Formats: sequence, C-alpha cells, structure tokens
Amino acid sequence: MSLVKQPSSTSSWYLPGIFKGMLLTFFGKMLKNLFNKKDMITLNYPEEKYQYSPRFKGNHVLTVNKEGDIRCTACMLCATACPADCISIIASEDEDPTVEKYPISYEIDILRCVFCGMCEEACPVDAVRMGPEWQTPGVNGSQFVYDKEHLAYRPQLNGGKGIQSLCEDTERHNFGI
Amino acid sequence: MPKCTLNGKEIEVAEGTTIIEAYKKLEEDIAHYCWHPGLSVAGVCRLCMVKVEGNPRLQIACNTVVQDGMVISNQDDEVKEAVRWGLDFHLINHPLDCPVCDQAGECGLQDQYMKFGKYDPEMAERKVKKSKVVDLGKRVVLDSERCILCSRCVRFTEEVSKTNELGIFNRGDHSEIGTYSGKPLDNNYSLNTVDICPVGALTSRDFRFKQRVWFLNKKQSVCTGCSTGCNIDVYFNKEGVWRFKPAFNAEVNGHWMCDKGRDYYANLNPYETHVEGERKDKKVKRIPVRLLNGMKGSEMINSQDLAIEVGQRLKELGGEKVALVITGQQTSEELEAVTEFFAKDLNSKNVFYWVNNKENFDEFDGILKRGDENPNTKGALKTLEKFGLNQTWSQLTDGIEKGHIEMVLVLGPENQQVYPDFKTRVEELSKAKTLVWTTACLNESLDKSNVWQIPANTFVEKEGTFINHAGLEQKISFITDLVHNAFDGVELARLMRGDDLPEEERFKNSPYKRVNNEFTSIRGDL
Amino acid sequence: MPESKLLTEHYHKDEYRGLQGYKANGGYQVIEKAFKMDPQKIIEEVLNSGLRGRGGAGFPTGRKWSFLPDNGEPRYLLCNADEGEPCTFKDRMMMERAPHQLIEGMVISAFAIKSHKSYIYVRGEYTESVEILREAIKEAYDAGYLGKNILGSGFDHDMDVYAGAGAYICGEETGMISSLEGKKGQPKLKPPFPAVKGYLGKPTIVNNVETLAAVVPIIKDGADAYKKFGTEKSTGTKLFSVSGDVQKPGNYEVPLGMPLRELIELAGGMKPSRTLKAVIPGGTSAPVLNKEEAEKATMDYECLAEMGSMLGSGAVTIIDDTRCMVDMLHVITHFYHHESCGQCTPCREGTGWLNKIVNSIVEGRGRLQDIDTLCKVADHMKGKTICALSDAAALPVLSFVPKFRSEFEFYIREGRSKVKGTRYAEMHA
Repeated sequence: MSLVKQPSSTSSWYLPGIFKGMLLTFFGKMLKNLFNKKDMITLNYPEEKYQYSPRFKGNHVLTVNKEGDIRCTACMLCATACPADCISIIASEDEDPTVEKYPISYEIDILRCVFCGMCEEACPVDAVRMGPEWQTPGVNGSQFVYDKEHLAYRPQLNGGKGIQSLCEDTERHNFGI
Repeated sequence: MPKCTLNGKEIEVAEGTTIIEAYKKLEEDIAHYCWHPGLSVAGVCRLCMVKVEGNPRLQIACNTVVQDGMVISNQDDEVKEAVRWGLDFHLINHPLDCPVCDQAGECGLQDQYMKFGKYDPEMAERKVKKSKVVDLGKRVVLDSERCILCSRCVRFTEEVSKTNELGIFNRGDHSEIGTYSGKPLDNNYSLNTVDICPVGALTSRDFRFKQRVWFLNKKQSVCTGCSTGCNIDVYFNKEGVWRFKPAFNAEVNGHWMCDKGRDYYANLNPYETHVEGERKDKKVKRIPVRLLNGMKGSEMINSQDLAIEVGQRLKELGGEKVALVITGQQTSEELEAVTEFFAKDLNSKNVFYWVNNKENFDEFDGILKRGDENPNTKGALKTLEKFGLNQTWSQLTDGIEKGHIEMVLVLGPENQQVYPDFKTRVEELSKAKTLVWTTACLNESLDKSNVWQIPANTFVEKEGTFINHAGLEQKISFITDLVHNAFDGVELARLMRGDDLPEEERFKNSPYKRVNNEFTSIRGDL
Repeated sequence: MPESKLLTEHYHKDEYRGLQGYKANGGYQVIEKAFKMDPQKIIEEVLNSGLRGRGGAGFPTGRKWSFLPDNGEPRYLLCNADEGEPCTFKDRMMMERAPHQLIEGMVISAFAIKSHKSYIYVRGEYTESVEILREAIKEAYDAGYLGKNILGSGFDHDMDVYAGAGAYICGEETGMISSLEGKKGQPKLKPPFPAVKGYLGKPTIVNNVETLAAVVPIIKDGADAYKKFGTEKSTGTKLFSVSGDVQKPGNYEVPLGMPLRELIELAGGMKPSRTLKAVIPGGTSAPVLNKEEAEKATMDYECLAEMGSMLGSGAVTIIDDTRCMVDMLHVITHFYHHESCGQCTPCREGTGWLNKIVNSIVEGRGRLQDIDTLCKVADHMKGKTICALSDAAALPVLSFVPKFRSEFEFYIREGRSKVKGTRYAEMHA
C-alpha cells in the first residue's frame, strides 16, 4: 500500500526547504561520515563492491554435473517461459543413450532479458540459475549475447570450472523419471 | 439407419458404425489410443469404455456396433473410473520425462491425462526399463520405454504400407515394438507411423529435437511433391518451415502422405542450419539456401526493379523475339497471368511447356505417390489449351539456335530435384541473349552473365490453385513469409506489364506488415 | 460317494492306449451309431444332455455348436488340449491313456457340426501326449476311422496334432486360433466369435479334450442316461485333478455336485495332523475358498458360482495350515505376470504391478497401504480386457487378500511369514 502524502501549505516555501536539506547534509551525513567511516553508506565503486543477497537475480549461470558437463537437457522450457524471448537453444542428439538431448547452442541475449527469473523457475533439472553478477560491461552488441561457454564456464564461476548442481540424476533415472 | 442416444443426445448413424465413430461424429470427448480412423480396430488400450444400457459389463466403443435404440453413455461414474484407471495403467511404466520428450505438446498421454486422468498415482514400484534410442530405419527412432503398445504403427505397416516391417516382440510388460533382423523400417510411408504414434515412442529422425511443437504454428496446404496433391499441415515459425504432416482429406490422401513429400520442407527455408565439431565444441552455422535478391547476371539488384526492367525489355523486343517457358510447378493463377501477358500483351505464341519426366508420368505406387512429380501438370496443360498454344520444345531450341528468340523468361521449377534435366535445359536456354529465370532456390548452373534471376515465392508464400492428377482443384493459401522480396507469378506479370502496384501490395510480405505476436500463438500455455 | 467312471473306466489298462485294446473294450462302436443319426439330432442330444464345456468357462456345448452359421463355408473343429491352467492335469491323462476315445469323440462331434478338418492343439510341454496322439491318429487313419469316406458313411474327416509353444494364453480359444494360424498367440477381439469367424476366418468350434470325449458316452447311451449323473443344471461326470496337501493326489472322475469334503476324502484325506485351510476349486484363476466355505461347497457350477468362485478346469488344490498364503499369491501373481500376452493395457501393466507389489511385500519392503492398492488394481483389471486372463489374475488377489488379510498384514509388519515364521530370503535360500 502506498500512501500519498498531501503537501502542506508550507512545503511550497522555497528557502525553509533548502535550509532543511542543508542541515541534513551537513549534520546528518557529512559529520557522521567524517567521524564514523564504518557506517558510511556509499561505496568506492568499482574498487569496493556491495555484497548482494545470494538470491539476487543477476546474470544467468548454466550449472554443470559431476563430470563438468552442462546439465541442461535442452527441453526449452526456459525459452518457453521467457517473457522477453531472449533465450534461444538449439538441441542435438547425445551420443550417450541415457541422455536424451543436449544443447549445442544455448544463447541468452542479456540485453533483452528482464531478469524475471522465470527461466530458473521453469527449469526441471536445476540447469539454469540466476547468478550474482550484474556488472557486465561490453563494448559491442554481440558481447551481450551470452553463449553456452560463457554461461557455464566464465571465470567468475569457480574459476571457470562451473557451478555444480546438487541434483542427483542416477536415482531418478533408475526409477524411470 | 440405426438411431441411438449418446450422452443424452440422439444421433442417427449409418449401418455398421461403431460407437466411437458416433462419438466422433457428435464431437463428444472420448478417450482412446489404439483406435485410429484409418486403421483396423485393435481394441487393446481399453480406454474407450462406454456403458450401454442393459449390458452389465462396460463395452469398448471401438468394437461395438451401434444398434437401433442403444442408450450409450461415457459420463457414468463407472466409466469415468474405468478410464481413469486405464490411463493409470498406461502410465505406470511410462517414464516421466515430458520435458525432454519430443512429443510433449502434442502427446496423447498428456492431453488425455489432463482430460480424464486420475491425478493421484499409486504406483510406488520400479518401472520396467526398456531400450531407448533404437534405430528402426533411417527416418524413425524408437524409444521403447515411452511406447504404450497401442499397435497403431504395427497395423499401419500391415494394412496401409503393406510392408510388415514392424512387430511386437516379447510379451507382457516386456513387450517392445521392433523390426525383424535385417529388415529396417524404410518404406516410403514410414513417417506416418510417427504421426499416428500417440506418445513419444516413435520420433522422426529429421524433426527430432529441432523445435518444441508449441513453438510452431500450423496451417493447411497442399503437398507439391507429386500430382496426387496430398493435403498437408505446414508447421512453421518465424525461423522457417519445420515439417509437413498429412491433413485428412478423404478424397485425396486419407490420413497419410509419403516421406518424399515430407522431405521437401527443407528447400523452403532461407537458411539452413549446419552443425560442426565434436560433442563439446559443436558450433552452429547457418547457410543461406534461398535466393534473397534479384540477380542481374552477377549484379545484385532489387527484385521488383528487375522484374519491371524485364517487362520493359520484353515489350521492346516484341512478340516474336521473346519466349516463355512454363512448368507444372506453378499455380494455375500464376501460369494464367504470365501466359496472358505473353499471349495478349506481347502477342507472342512462344509459350513452351517444359516436361520433366514424361516417361514416369503414369507410375503409381498403389498408395499415394505418383510418377508425375509436378503438382499442377493438369493446370499447365489447361492454361496452354485456354490460350490455344501448342508449341513444341524443338521450336524453342531452334529459335534460340537461329537467333529468332533473343529473350527467354522461364518460370523455373520450384522443386529442382525432380528436374533431372535442369542443367541441360539451362545450358540450352542460356544460348539466348538474355535468359530470365524465376527461381526459389540458388542453383550453380544459373550463375551466368546472361542469366537474370528473379526470386520466386514458394508454395507456402503464395495463394493459388493446383489441379491434381484426377482433375481436382485444390486451393493453397498463404502460410508464412520466408523471403520478403520474392514474389509470385501473378505479381510478376503485373510488374512486367507495368501496372502500378499500390504500396501495400508491393510490400505485401514486408516484415513491417507482420501481425503482432503471430508466432506466439501456442506459447505460454505451459 | 464313490467315483463314477464314465470316461475313465478302462484307463488303468495299458492296452487301452492302442487301437486294438480300445476296440476290445468297446471303443469305436459309438461312431457307427452316430453315423446313422442325423447330425442335427446329435447336436440336440448333446444339448439335451446338458454337457457344459470342461475347459473352464462351462459354456453349454450344444449351444456353442448351434451358433455355427449356415453359409456353406468350411468349418473347423479345434480340440483345446493346451492345458495351461496351473494344477490341472486331466487332459494329459486322457490323451495319454485313451487317445482313441478323444479321436472318436472328435469324429462324432465333427460329423455333428459337418466339419472336415480338425486340429488337436496340444500344450508344448506335453511332448509325450503329442507322440501318443500322432501314433493313435495314424492307427485311426489305417483302420479307416479317419480320412476319406469313414466307415462307408460318405463322411470325410482329417485330423492333425499341433504342438503349441508353451504359452498359457494359447489355451484361450481365440489365442489358440491365432497361434494355430501361425501368428503370435494373442486373443482376438470378440465379436466376431470363433463360431462365426475363427480359424482362417472360417466358422470354428473350440472344445476341451474332456468335453469332446464326453460326447462318446452321451451318444452311446443317450442324453437321459448322461443326465442321471450330476445335478439338475450341472449334469454328467467331471474329472477333478486333486492336488496339494492330500494323501493321494490325482485325477478323480466323479459326478458333478459331489461335496468337496467327499472329494477330499476320496483323495485320501488331509495329511496326518494337518487341517484344511483353504481350497482353490478350479485352477489358480478361481477365487480361493476358505475352510468354512470349502466344507459347505459342492463341486458343481452353480454352488461354486454362488460362493463367488468357479469350477474352472476342475483343478482342486487343497491347502493346509502349513502353507503361507502370501507366498502362494506371490507364485500366482508371478505366473500371470509372466503369461500375460501384453495386448491389453490393464492386463499387461496390471499383472506386472500386482506382482511387483506382492514381491515388495515378501521381500520386506511392503507398506500397509499396499494391501488396498492390490485390491484396487485387481478390481480395475477385472472385466476390462479382451480375454479372461486379467480376470484370472485379478480374482485370486481379490479372494486371497480379503480372506487372509491378517497374514498379509503380519508379513508387512514383521517382514516374515505368519505361518512359517521365516523371511522370504531364508525360505528360498
């Protein structure tokens, strides 16, 4: 619920408002920051970075299995759920008969992405997650289309080894699921 | 004509109609897997249970003939319970891997479970494991675990293709579909087994994993593979056309179509996807196969400007010095429009009919496929007859040889593979000063300095009529736009004539004219 | 009540197997009498005798014969000797002790239904029976009881023996026809019934060995003499294969309607210091009777049907108090799982499911709700398939579980048998 504060008649006065603001700046913030640096809110970005919640929905991560292969089964449910139409997958037959298919190409156009997290939600095998990063500059458009290699093995993810999913497949396969 | 009551509705059916057919006629819901209108009755899925008044046992609707005065219902609690359990029996050994199953989205088990399912499975035991990814033939892949043994595919090979490749091996819950050793499923109708498979057990090697079906739209058209003119559903999305499936037409093809006709879809797409490399570093590469722009010799030019220029040149040269070659691959409307331009506007009698494989024209495999691999041979002959044209091919070659004919316009065949004499004809005709060729696909033999290529629409991008071998006229309609600066024969004739096409018609197929969300119809249902 | 040996009178004599011995003991005389009769009269006689199919379903034989359409198509007579029902062994004895009796009965039946070709479909495991039958048929051909113009009557008849491949489902009449046609032995959809469209699409009559043999005494002495045996609705005599925990297991021919207690007495009674616990009265597909029911039961179609069981093939299995019912059901569900042809889904999947549940119970993985699941699964298999195999698999479950529920519960709770006190793994080590 949002309450709209009705402006009082004095709020349209100009000078009292400026003084009020100045007081806050000088005494409320500047002096406090001068003598109590620890509690200062601002950060020296990019030298310092803010620690986000682990549930932050940043750039996507494709998880890997024990062998280090991408877990994604190319079911395209993420692409189906995606409201921005930013995921494109090309599936292919796997040589392993226990694996139905795998993505030869998994691309996310991060500039189209709205970071809604529906892909993560839709994934039946915990293969795509929203990761913690969001500071991802690039110098041209093509750098914002993340391919499979980038999504799974970029250096930020365990130094390029990828993030291993905790899901165990063997038991599931035994039960024919 | 027996009368019966189905779920409280009276219906009169023909003698010998089964209850399930009556249900279909009334468009009432009835669960079924093994019954298929084009095949014999197997009665093995036991899902189409109905209660016939006066009969203590539930009957299967597919094998019970309607008799006068029958009162039939499948809304009974007893029937509903039986169907619920019937579905559960189907599912106890069926793997729950819908996300990776290629049938998901058009799966009979999914659809019917949503409608009639029990929703509280009680199976807590291990499922039976069977073989996966079995090659039945070069086109069909089998996943035995997903098979519900409805025997539709087996009956298809027994009754329709009459090749008997498939059989059910072993017994009980270890039964599996399979082929006999050394006899793979490779008849020309094998992909119909994939269509009739209600689950993801049989999948097409070609379509497998290429697209999820809910990304595809479908529209009805007519197959151009041969003069039978099977009705088809074209499955497409914004990236192109992905597959053809037969659409039911009792007069033409029934429920089936041949594999050769299905293969043709790949020629329509402007880009072809190629995969390179090993398992981990596979890369996807796209190769254009369609002509995207007009080619004036080696010069790339806007296709509409080229068509207008062709028209002017033809008019300058006049009737005797120009010639038109038509084939049985265009629609009747196109043939008529272009021929009319030559016969009326240019006053030319030089209209020639290019026949590709005259000697096989009467071949017929007894099911659907005919030797005449043009969809509109009858239409071409009709057009020639209408304008009273009967020039022979030798007149054309002579004319070119002697220099009477300086410019030839060829309404090139859309399907170049069925024209084995394509190259020799190009050689023959390119002896003329200018050869204008409307073509949908690139072809190396056309890359010559005096050959102008105009991009033509394929049959999914145009409207028109095909007349099949029996003289049946079938309309095809616009399905999707694949190459937006290509155009069909009717537009070509208008451009050549110099008619001023209104802006919206000139850019009829322009991407800016696309309907909002036209490719997202099935998305978001999940 | 003693045995009444209508069919099995001379079975103890070794020479009865051969043509000479059979003739010496009054064989092949009825055939001559029959040829003098009108075929329709024979059918009427059989109808009047009240003879019912001895294979399991108990359908009146004369009625079955009268269903044949009169359209001039060739007709076939098939003798169902695919005795697959567990605990049944009467047909084997009949074929091995008196093959000529069967041949005589078949020729008479074929004459009645105007069939010129018959097959005896013998169970694959009965290799000896096949040899004996082939030998007997050869003898009969030589003596002119088979072949062209039998005994100068102008009636031609050919007979062949076909050995099955050992599938239980081929004992079902349409399954047998499929197998005989060279196809996979799977029952066919009915309608059309075999009497209209059977073997090779022609009208076909399928009868059990005992039924066809019983035609001989019926024609010999007339329907009224036959009706003197048995009860009003279940006429004649019947061979019972008594097995299990009795002193003298074996085949006993007794008139229908005999109390089950007397039949047990006839078979030597219970073993010393054991008491009766249950009886399966008609092969494993018949619902089991508990002690109280067994003591009241009489062996005829009506009484057993009233008790919710059936006479079936006449395989009476006596179970005493040392037997574990969970174990027995395990054997039975395993059998039906193994023998389901896999055509209809409820049977194909249901038999496997039942077996897996019982398997879980005996291996100590059972849960109490499994007992209810067993009953629910069986209940929904019943009467839902082309043939009766799913009923045959479901009925034992539906009788074993409610009647001996405490044993099942004990097994699940303790992981061991209530009766034997041991675990499954120990029992079968």
